[in-house]
Amino acid sequence: MRWRSVDSNLLMLREFDGELVVRNDVTGSTHLLDPLAAEVLRTLIAAPEGLTAAELGARLAEGIEEQADWSALIEPTLMEFQRLGLAERASSASPS
Amino acid sequence: MTSPLIAALRDPAAVRSWSVPQWERLIRQARSADLLSRLAHLLAETAIPPGPRRHLVAAQVTAGAQAEAVQREVAHVARALASTGVDVILLKGAAYLLAGLPVSRGRVFNDVDILVPREALPRVEAALMLHGWAGSHHHPHDQRYYREWMHELPPLRHLARESVLDVHHAIAPLTGRFRPDSAKLIAAARALEGQPRLKVLAPVDMVLHAAAHLFLNEELTHGLRDLADLDALLRDFAREASFWSALEERAHELDLSLPLQYALRYCARLLATPVPEQYLKDSIPVWKRGLLDALYLRALQPHHPDASDRFTPLARALLYLRGHWLRLPPHLLLYHLTVKALRKRPEEPLTQGR
Amino acid sequence: MVTSIRSTLPEIARGIALLYAEHPVEADEAFADFQVRIARPRGLRRWVRPQVQFQFDGTPPFHPLPGDQAFPILEWGLNWCVSAHCHQYLIVHAAAVERAGQALLLPAPPGSGKSTLCAALVHRGWRLLSDELALLDPATHAIVPLARPVSLKNASIELIRRFAPEAVLGETVHDTLKGSVAHMKPPQDAVRRSLEPAAPRWIVMPRYEARAAAARLTPLARGQAFMQLADSAFNYHLHGRAGFELLADVVEGCECFELAYANLEEALAALEGMQ
Repeated sequence: MRWRSVDSNLLMLREFDGELVVRNDVTGSTHLLDPLAAEVLRTLIAAPEGLTAAELGARLAEGIEEQADWSALIEPTLMEFQRLGLAERASSASPS
Repeated sequence: MTSPLIAALRDPAAVRSWSVPQWERLIRQARSADLLSRLAHLLAETAIPPGPRRHLVAAQVTAGAQAEAVQREVAHVARALASTGVDVILLKGAAYLLAGLPVSRGRVFNDVDILVPREALPRVEAALMLHGWAGSHHHPHDQRYYREWMHELPPLRHLARESVLDVHHAIAPLTGRFRPDSAKLIAAARALEGQPRLKVLAPVDMVLHAAAHLFLNEELTHGLRDLADLDALLRDFAREASFWSALEERAHELDLSLPLQYALRYCARLLATPVPEQYLKDSIPVWKRGLLDALYLRALQPHHPDASDRFTPLARALLYLRGHWLRLPPHLLLYHLTVKALRKRPEEPLTQGR
Repeated sequence: MVTSIRSTLPEIARGIALLYAEHPVEADEAFADFQVRIARPRGLRRWVRPQVQFQFDGTPPFHPLPGDQAFPILEWGLNWCVSAHCHQYLIVHAAAVERAGQALLLPAPPGSGKSTLCAALVHRGWRLLSDELALLDPATHAIVPLARPVSLKNASIELIRRFAPEAVLGETVHDTLKGSVAHMKPPQDAVRRSLEPAAPRWIVMPRYEARAAAARLTPLARGQAFMQLADSAFNYHLHGRAGFELLADVVEGCECFELAYANLEEALAALEGMQ
């Protein structure tokens, strides 16, 4: 199951001390993301082909020694992104 | 017609020499007629004194936001109806906007209107409900009015977004005197670039729909705004040489010649739309022409104390009744008006703007 | 911004004469942005428990109020004129004051005490920019002044009278939807300098806490400040992408705090500490 962010041309982002405010053209809504969610979104934006939760976890874990169950941390964030319209599940075919 | 708003719509350049009181009346009338942003668009290249200018700028901000909201709403509707296999035809503002027509610039947008075949209504309604739209007008009488007698579902409101969607299956009431064939409209509809399941009416049909909406509807609250739409559509489509004859022919085919005549007549009279002379000859008998002029030329003025005379309320009331009459046969009309009068309306808070 | 006000009600005349004493009166030929009227609605209610109504260009946007609330309804009506129409600005529900060319923005929901704080600040060296409606100019990112009477409620009325005996207050009207209400005249300086905008430098979310031991000014994350500003704005959604940019730029250029306080003097002292 791959996840993809909304087309990044439709997102406006501004970072303040690790937190991220995001405006989504598709919904017209603005959101505040905590540092973890911000990283997840940024990582998705940088991978337009889509990422699985495991791949996301691997990228976030790069350079961090502490073990963490990244999936458990990331899943709720991805669900929330879907609810907010910031990301969606992609089929395994490449995005059109 | 001395309304500054109509004068400015006819000849935007003329405002350059206007006095302060004229500007004031213009801004007030335009605001009350929902034409402030259209005026801003027409005056984009004109030097405007700072006082009036801020009001035009403010109106443009609002209109821009509404246009974006309509784009979003149309995307939602398209997604919701994708699985039904129905071709959705956008009407009015949403159509003008998505087709990129000049009439959409500076236009105020509210609800989204769509046209679907009548037999598709049940599955369209079901798909919309599934995606969060809910019906309004729950009184059984209103439901009947809309579904059986008029040409639309009662307006649907999206529960989360609070936007309103009007689903039509015809462009004029089933029970009215004029019954243009929806199948013909649907057959002639044009696809929108990059939008697989969305269509808009053919240009002549857009004009005829606008004319039918203005001259067959019961309320003229936005009469001038609707007339301004017609003016913009006509000016744009008339660039095609064959347009006028095609328009006349199609009106005849759809039995909408009468509303078209009224539309051309009042566009030319009030907004100086360049309608070729031969299409202004009318078959309206002279005696009737005078009466209609007395009614419409007053009722199409901006709804503003400035632009009315003592006959205007009566003119509007008569046209309201006439509009209703055109939509419902007399015995049904009486029934409908009586029920409307007897039912208690819940107290609505007066809200500003839209 | 020029408003044409028509009324035959004596309390309107009194209120304007007192609280708008410093405001210039334009010639009849000047362009008026808004035309408003305060009148008693027609019909029986003229005499039986009379009411008063605000009309905007001939139409009443809201229900009438009891007859003695004429001046408050004028003020609320004028606020509505701005918040419903002046979309050339991004309008934040906030107080704003200025000193040495730098503005302090105090967004807050009702009951946070921002108007009381504002009334106090403008008698301690700060210039009033606005007590309710901060107008952000998208082109310059500055706050455009709207120096009008400051509305005070209930206990604040007496509090400000004691705090600033020199302040000029209009009549207190009781039993309004907001309790007892009185309006304070804007200082002359604020009105004189109505055409001088100011760039925001501080954003402070005030919170009146009866139990607060001492006034506390704590740093507020800018992301939070952004969201609070957007939530406090009347027309953020109308400004779309440009609105996002504007608020982000404003927040970026400001120091942001939360202020918890029970005592007005302490609150002011804490705010002084920001510089």
